[in-house]
Amino acid sequence: MMSKSCKQKLVAYGLVMPAFLVVMLTVAYPIVSAVIQSFQDEETGAFTLDNYLYFFTEPAQLRNILYTLFVVVMTVVIAIVVAYLLALYLRFVKSKIAKTIGTLYLLPRFVPAMCAVYAMITIIRDSGLINRIGALFGLDIKLGLMYHASGMIVMNLWFNIPFAAMMITAGLGAIPDSIIEGARDVGASKLKTFTSMILPLSIKDVVVASTFVFMSNVGSFTTPYLMGGNSPKMLGIALFDQFNKYMAYNRSAALSVIMFLICSVSAGVYIYTNLKENDWEKQ
Amino acid sequence: MKMKRIIALLLATMMLALALSGCGSKKSDSSAAAEGGKTTVNLWATGSDNVRSIFETLTNEFNTNSEYADKYEVKLQFMLSGTGTQTLADMLAAAAKAGQTNTDYDLVDLSGDDLSKVMSLVGQDKFVKLDDSKIPNAASVSAESSVTPDYCQPYRGTTVILAYDSEKVPTPPATMDELVEWMKANPGRFAYNTPGTGGAGDSFVRSSVYNFLPEEAFTSDDEKWVSEWDEGFEFLKSIHPYMYSSGGSIVYPNKNQGTLDLLNQGEIDMCPNWADMVLSQRASGAIRDSIKITQIEPSLTGSLQSMVIPTFGSNEEGAYAFINFMLSPEAQEIMVRDMAAIPLIDSSDMDMTGYEDLQGLDVSNFRIQSIGGLSTAFNERWDNEIGTLG
Repeated sequence: MMSKSCKQKLVAYGLVMPAFLVVMLTVAYPIVSAVIQSFQDEETGAFTLDNYLYFFTEPAQLRNILYTLFVVVMTVVIAIVVAYLLALYLRFVKSKIAKTIGTLYLLPRFVPAMCAVYAMITIIRDSGLINRIGALFGLDIKLGLMYHASGMIVMNLWFNIPFAAMMITAGLGAIPDSIIEGARDVGASKLKTFTSMILPLSIKDVVVASTFVFMSNVGSFTTPYLMGGNSPKMLGIALFDQFNKYMAYNRSAALSVIMFLICSVSAGVYIYTNLKENDWEKQ
Repeated sequence: MKMKRIIALLLATMMLALALSGCGSKKSDSSAAAEGGKTTVNLWATGSDNVRSIFETLTNEFNTNSEYADKYEVKLQFMLSGTGTQTLADMLAAAAKAGQTNTDYDLVDLSGDDLSKVMSLVGQDKFVKLDDSKIPNAASVSAESSVTPDYCQPYRGTTVILAYDSEKVPTPPATMDELVEWMKANPGRFAYNTPGTGGAGDSFVRSSVYNFLPEEAFTSDDEKWVSEWDEGFEFLKSIHPYMYSSGGSIVYPNKNQGTLDLLNQGEIDMCPNWADMVLSQRASGAIRDSIKITQIEPSLTGSLQSMVIPTFGSNEEGAYAFINFMLSPEAQEIMVRDMAAIPLIDSSDMDMTGYEDLQGLDVSNFRIQSIGGLSTAFNERWDNEIGTLG
């Protein structure tokens, strides 16, 4: 008969097996098959690197990749800076207004993406709300945000600032007041307290928030589809074109792997920051 | 304790079994007798959401009020468009090639482009050659499909037209040349959507390019025409600087709705669009009343929506009955009212209030385009040559 620990192990594996199989089937198998497909030639199925080379040698495709990186990096930077300031405000300012903002700031995320995008379009388009208010004063304000990177970055902030602020607020909330008071007691200025105490303690949460914002925006579709221009395009749209319009499935697989690799860079940064032990955390 | 463990294991196994059975293949609906001696007719269709709701109205009407209500029951199998049509064509081809018989593909609704795709994938001998004596209402239909006319029955028309703001453009251009002159006199006031994102833009660019080619090219998917597109693409490049622009660069919006929104907002004065979209949105108040439609010469493409009966279906009589119903005045009126479709029977005794514009669209003048698989090469060339002009 099996020993008790052997039985226990079997039971454990048995209970985990269904979930594991589901993950293998729905996540691992498609990824593996997509990677294999990306190395296959469209007509002959032979091994080829052409699908990848296409995206790095065609000028339009290369521009798409760089454009996407530009838009996403700008989104991350602006979202994190604004979210951090918002989180600091919510953490350290004790007033009624701050409390109200604290309960309301997550609301933009609950608006469905399509509605939010159309709402933004109605305001910023060349014939939108801002233009019409300007017309009342005799001004012809054409923001020129639509169909350009600037408009998409503005739209991305709608969804990403609340999310990043939520993560950073959680991190700042974990900093006990006593540390701040201790620093102030020894005469540190507000700025010094921030740079030497608050920032290092919350940097991990900032990195987590940046990673999530980065990864979710690399493949974004709705915003660029409704607000983006024709060239260069965001990678989400380029991918849609490849498999839906041109039905070039092998090239689409290659582009998805490229996007996956771009995201994994940011994931790598996240893992590195979390694994690296800070001096004050060492036992 | 032991009992708990046994129950836990049993639950786990049961859940696994349930999960796996959920992944099993679905049983195909046999068209054996439904309730009350009625036989089932499975109708396969694809399109956007307004097409789905219209088919639901029509099948309900057929199942409850029509003369066939106690003999047949039509079940709608609808696939929302996007990549839907590719899949429907593939599904038919797969069933045909596997030599299946008595499947549930009793009746299939296809647009002109999909019809030629399916016919070339499957072959017309897999479809029933329609016996007109079984479709009495077809006698009043003069329109005929350009692809395999004996094997399909058209029941409604759709067309791309020029939508324009009648307040800004009191006399719209009547020919393509006049349109180009208007574009040059009014730069930035015309737009068409990126091909591949909506049929209106597709129609405009293909009409423009194929205007330089002989007529038979427009319904051919022969690769030899690809090299003859150069003149057409030069034309598209030449009108590019006069298109709508925003923030300093020329913009081709995505989706048919993209250009219609611009027109409604007054950012442009003219755009190609679908007749049924413009008319039904105008009737519901979503776009202004001053927006009107017109056709130009040579016309932007239209297409006929047709029905086919696969020989590997299982209810041919029921399929004929439904086709006959679709051509009846009641059904045609539903289609006019609910989706501004162009009726194919004589509309003089139908109630056309709000849709009189449809009567002015002559179906016999329709330019049909069905270039089949060449459309992907076409869209890719547009994206590379025109889309990147910025």
